[in-house]
Amino acid sequence: MKQYKHLIKPYIIWAAALIVVPLIMIVLYAFTEEGNSVLTFSFTLENFAKFAESTYVNVIVKSFRLGIFTTVLCLLLGYPLAFIISRCSEKSQAFLILLVTIPEWINMLLRTYAWMNLLSDNGIINNLLEMLGMKPVSMMYTDFSVIVGLVCNFMPFMIIPIYTSLSKMDKSLIEAAYDLGANRFQTFRKVIWKLSIPGVLNGIMMVFLLSVSTFVIPKLLGGGQYMLIGNLIETQFISVGDWNFGSAISMILAVIIILFMRLMKKMDTQEE
Amino acid sequence: MKSRKTIALLLAAVTVFSSASAIQVSAAEDELILYTWEAMFPQEVLDGFTEETGIKVIYSNFDTDETMLEKLAMAEGGDYDVVVADDYIIEQAVNEGLVMELDKSQIPNFENINPLYQGQFYDPEDKYTVPYGAGIPLIVYDPEETDVDIKGYGDLWDESLEDAVALTANYRVILGITLLSMGYSMNEQDPEIIAQAGEKLVELAPNVRLIQDDNTQDSLLNGEAAAAFLYTSQVTMALMENPDLTVVYPEEGLGFGIMGMFIPSKAPNAEAAHKFIDYILRPEVSAACFDFMGYYCTTKAADELVNPDLVVPDSVSKGEIIQNVSQEAEEAFSKAWTEFKDACD
Repeated sequence: MKQYKHLIKPYIIWAAALIVVPLIMIVLYAFTEEGNSVLTFSFTLENFAKFAESTYVNVIVKSFRLGIFTTVLCLLLGYPLAFIISRCSEKSQAFLILLVTIPEWINMLLRTYAWMNLLSDNGIINNLLEMLGMKPVSMMYTDFSVIVGLVCNFMPFMIIPIYTSLSKMDKSLIEAAYDLGANRFQTFRKVIWKLSIPGVLNGIMMVFLLSVSTFVIPKLLGGGQYMLIGNLIETQFISVGDWNFGSAISMILAVIIILFMRLMKKMDTQEE
Repeated sequence: MKSRKTIALLLAAVTVFSSASAIQVSAAEDELILYTWEAMFPQEVLDGFTEETGIKVIYSNFDTDETMLEKLAMAEGGDYDVVVADDYIIEQAVNEGLVMELDKSQIPNFENINPLYQGQFYDPEDKYTVPYGAGIPLIVYDPEETDVDIKGYGDLWDESLEDAVALTANYRVILGITLLSMGYSMNEQDPEIIAQAGEKLVELAPNVRLIQDDNTQDSLLNGEAAAAFLYTSQVTMALMENPDLTVVYPEEGLGFGIMGMFIPSKAPNAEAAHKFIDYILRPEVSAACFDFMGYYCTTKAADELVNPDLVVPDSVSKGEIIQNVSQEAEEAFSKAWTEFKDACD
């Protein structure tokens, strides 16, 4: 057994070179002054101070608002679906889960472009409305189109973990609840919901992390009118060339996400 | 057996010949090495030059301006006779001493150039370059969908254009036209003034429907936007699909990018290079080139011959190129842009 341990060594080198070193660089850039040379540096907290300006705080608030909204919608729509799937016969369960995952086989960009075709002013939905004699609605490049795109893209990440925890549930517990006189609502609230919480938390975590850091979907469906945290980091590195500020924003985002994950974990252990 | 030998001999000859032409070009009196991007000159124009002068044009390609500068620096300004490249890289080449001063007595057609494109930052005294095409982002609008007669950037702020303006996504360009509409330079360096421009741009937010670099013209064609600020290739595509669209040459002045021709400092055949530049500056030759490339005509004398969509009217007398600014100004631009986007949705 012991000699297999050596097999891990190449991975250590790989991880050090491609994960640890870049992370150290980001931290170093975030705390140093101007310019992209790390050779001559002086430490500063200016990059973080810059972020405190309302312009940039707004960006992060907006990203989080969008992330939370998407997550809540995914939960509201995804939980019932996962619940229904878990009640079906085993054969149809496998089939229904396949249906949920199939869209994920297609490239995200293609799915987003499909939405653009559906929602645009001359799109399929508006053409249908016109055929039915109704006034066309302008849907593209609005909050609506962005949310639709995000929810559609990230829904499976909510459904699958909830479905897993629901289907693993011991059915006899539900029967016991009924035996003890609980009605359907009480059974759901006190037994099923409680037992599915780990799945729900997993789903929330995945959807939230994905939607907070996304920038392609808002860019395409929002008509480039969204400046989210991902776009801000991209602009700092690519167009402005202020790597120090870009690194500082990346660090702030990373810290917030780590805090969020710890909070989730705490909730998870408390439930148990 | 014999035929195989012949082929081998032929191959060897070709190899020797081609390697010789690559290394020993300087020896050949009747050759001109043209160094630029792919598809910059129509073949008829090059053939016409050879027919007239007996000088063979050897077309050599680069992919990016940076590659060109690197190769030219390695050759210490030799190897190539005529180079066509972008404005900003020419400035660097001039600074590195890789560019020859033009002998204007050998270029009688020099006066055919449109002065709008002369005296730019990369060659303020027009000593080294001849402009060869310009890319100009312009406003295009659908007269049926708009109530205002758009004349300049300022009209984009008109209230009647609510939720009907599409913009390209380069923040220096968009803030640049805001500065122009306020009477400043696109390359303004004062953070105070850039912040003012940012405030003005925020006021445009209610009118903005779309900010995007790719296929921006589509929004104008499918009716999502009534007015759009588009890059040159997008303007051309929009007009091809819908000739009824109106193109505006903003009265406040243009922001453009210019491609320039220059002769490297140690060009092996500088005489032929001057002849070539003079030949290209002929009205009919220039017109053929710009029609082929689809860039704006920089040869004034060719204005009447070239596709009229590629001619900037005489009423426009001011044009500027976006240059690099100080880090401080760059930050002010980026902050103003973030505020603008924040106000948009």
